[in-house]
Amino acid sequence: MINTIILSWTTFIYFAAFVFYLVRMVSGKEFWGRLGTVTALIGLFAHTAALILRWITSYQIGIGHAPLSNLYESLIFFAWSIVALYLVIEWRTKNRSLGTFVVPVAFLSMAFASLSPNISSRIQPLIPALQSNWLTTHVITCFLGYAAFTVAFALGLMVLLKGMEHENHARSQRFIRLIPEPGILDELIYQSAVLGFVFLTIGIMTGSIWAHYAWGSYWSWDPKETWSLITWLVYAIMLHARYIRGWRGKRMAVMAIVGFICVLITYLGVNYLPGLHSYQ
Amino acid sequence: MRKNYELFFILIKIAVQWYSHFPLQSEEVSHFVEKKSCPVLFRVGETGHCSFDPDFCGVHPGHPYPPAGLRGLQLFNVYHSAWFMILMALLAANLVVCSLDRFPMAWKRFRQVSEPDREDLFEKIPSDQVIIKETPLRSETDRLELLLKKKAGRVARRDEAGRSYLYGEKGAYSYFGVYIIHLSVLIIMAGVMIGFLFGFEGYVDIPEGESAAAVALKGGRGVKNLDFAVRCDRFFIDFYENGTPKTYRSDLTFLKAGRAVQSSAVLVNHPVAFGGMRFYQANYGMIPTGDPVMVVTQDDKKIKDVKVAIGMAFDLPEKKAKVQMVRVEEDLMGMGPAVKLSIQSPAGEVQLWVFQAIEQIGQANPGLLEQVPIFNPGLFKPYVFSLVQANNRYYTGLQVAQDPGVPLVAVGAALMMIGFMVVFFCSHRQIWIRLDVKGDKTRISIAGKSNRDAVGLERAIRKWLDAVKLNKESAA
Repeated sequence: MINTIILSWTTFIYFAAFVFYLVRMVSGKEFWGRLGTVTALIGLFAHTAALILRWITSYQIGIGHAPLSNLYESLIFFAWSIVALYLVIEWRTKNRSLGTFVVPVAFLSMAFASLSPNISSRIQPLIPALQSNWLTTHVITCFLGYAAFTVAFALGLMVLLKGMEHENHARSQRFIRLIPEPGILDELIYQSAVLGFVFLTIGIMTGSIWAHYAWGSYWSWDPKETWSLITWLVYAIMLHARYIRGWRGKRMAVMAIVGFICVLITYLGVNYLPGLHSYQ
Repeated sequence: MRKNYELFFILIKIAVQWYSHFPLQSEEVSHFVEKKSCPVLFRVGETGHCSFDPDFCGVHPGHPYPPAGLRGLQLFNVYHSAWFMILMALLAANLVVCSLDRFPMAWKRFRQVSEPDREDLFEKIPSDQVIIKETPLRSETDRLELLLKKKAGRVARRDEAGRSYLYGEKGAYSYFGVYIIHLSVLIIMAGVMIGFLFGFEGYVDIPEGESAAAVALKGGRGVKNLDFAVRCDRFFIDFYENGTPKTYRSDLTFLKAGRAVQSSAVLVNHPVAFGGMRFYQANYGMIPTGDPVMVVTQDDKKIKDVKVAIGMAFDLPEKKAKVQMVRVEEDLMGMGPAVKLSIQSPAGEVQLWVFQAIEQIGQANPGLLEQVPIFNPGLFKPYVFSLVQANNRYYTGLQVAQDPGVPLVAVGAALMMIGFMVVFFCSHRQIWIRLDVKGDKTRISIAGKSNRDAVGLERAIRKWLDAVKLNKESAA
């Protein structure tokens, strides 16, 4: 189908964008950064078009639903959220160094969706449990949350890298020098974590409302629910540590990375446990 | 105390993680949502009967059954275990204590209106936050005070010889956001407890055409009698072209004292409420019913089927044979339903037993058919007799739930969102404006403070600078 072809091209476009952002960091020439931005924008445009096409196609084959219903579609939407959120942040902060760290995650998500033999890219009809208006709200809010956490994670990596600058200050590499000041990174980590936290909360709430109608209980302690709660608690700890203990810099970076690992377990890891949420 | 606060979060986390390593708990809510294949004959519901026998259902395939000693630690039904409840109570106590501990400070910050003449704040402001204007001090102060009153919640002014101070603030209520969130967590926990204490969750399987007036409680906690009956009029499955299920639907009728009160269809994602409970489509299966039928095949082709009954007779014209059922047994020698046939033909009389489960019997006893020809359904050649259960009936598996805690949980969730809005998207923003006479001109300096939104404050200060410069009527 045309949408999957566009999506596999988008994977390569994102890879190109990542390479351009990387070249900018290494060479220090802003030209490559601008090229990266343009490439990422083209990728996002194609990506959006493919999602819309996929949506239309699903209606044409008579099983119309938003392209958010299986692992393939969720990975694709995850990548879309990451790139969209990143481009907004780039536009707001006027800084491109984050792209080197965030865009590859989107690329990996796309590549995993396209290349993994176990993941079907076919448009599948919705099983009865998924036939709900809450599907779209629940998935979109969760993945916007995941995308924000991904950004926080990338920023966390940047903080740790930046922290290595002082050790050999004399010949500090250009790569590290181009990473923004820790104060700016810290503020951005905090804002991304808050954004993710709010969206994750809404995602858990919409999921609970849905479960209330579909599964007979707003909370069933299935592995995904449990891990989403763990993830929620980790970010709650992170925000409390900042408010109450005044944690900044490296500690927040580590929390962002730990939180992101929890996100990955919530998203992908629990598929290996029996439960209601497992993707087919 | 604050350290405890974090510690308890971590403890809860460990408790929850612990569970993930032991996915053996009998709590399991299984649904057929992800199961593709149809249940086979005699399959009892995955959920329905499960609850009667936790020893059987608590264990997933591939996991050994936990030894009794471990069961004593209540690790296999963590979320209803005593120690999990104690942790919940400790977390609640911690939230209350920490909130009470910190609340007076927030209250003080909220009540306290800052002094307008905070000279210290103006010492380190950047030079672009200072503007020199031609307008006289008094009129400029009046104008800015009006503007502040329009934009800020609380305004203060102090006039001294040759200088004036203005102060405006808004969003002081944002100090309370965190208490709203903590309160919402407590409300949600209360809702969970109410559901746990006064609600129930159960299952019932109802064959088509039959009714039930009791449900099996989850976790083998017994049976709950209902003061009404539920009848399943029909169960219905629809499939997509590729074979995945599309719709599961049960047409239910609720009966009170034998009279139909309400008829509704229950679908996945569309539960039905009756008598303060909700009924969910959670499972289905097939049960054999109806009269067994004797099927006669010749060269693997079905040539006849006859209802089973004693004395029932039919002809096999090709062999000029007359067949009669002389005995019908529900369960012959523990080998299931069987019918004895007597076949009269020109070649003489042949008697044989036809078992419904002949395949399994043959497999379990190799050579039986040769040793005991009377058990061979193909004894009268070229015909083969078999016994089949003609109709299979669906049963629907319903999940029944009553949870009086839901409204409270919903209120808690709504409150949490309000708290988030206040904590994350509102901030206490304070603006100080100092005006003093500089020769024949007026010098205006602006300083600001925010409890969390430094970027927003920066933007607000810019807007105030513009408003001062341009004599604009509006500002942030």
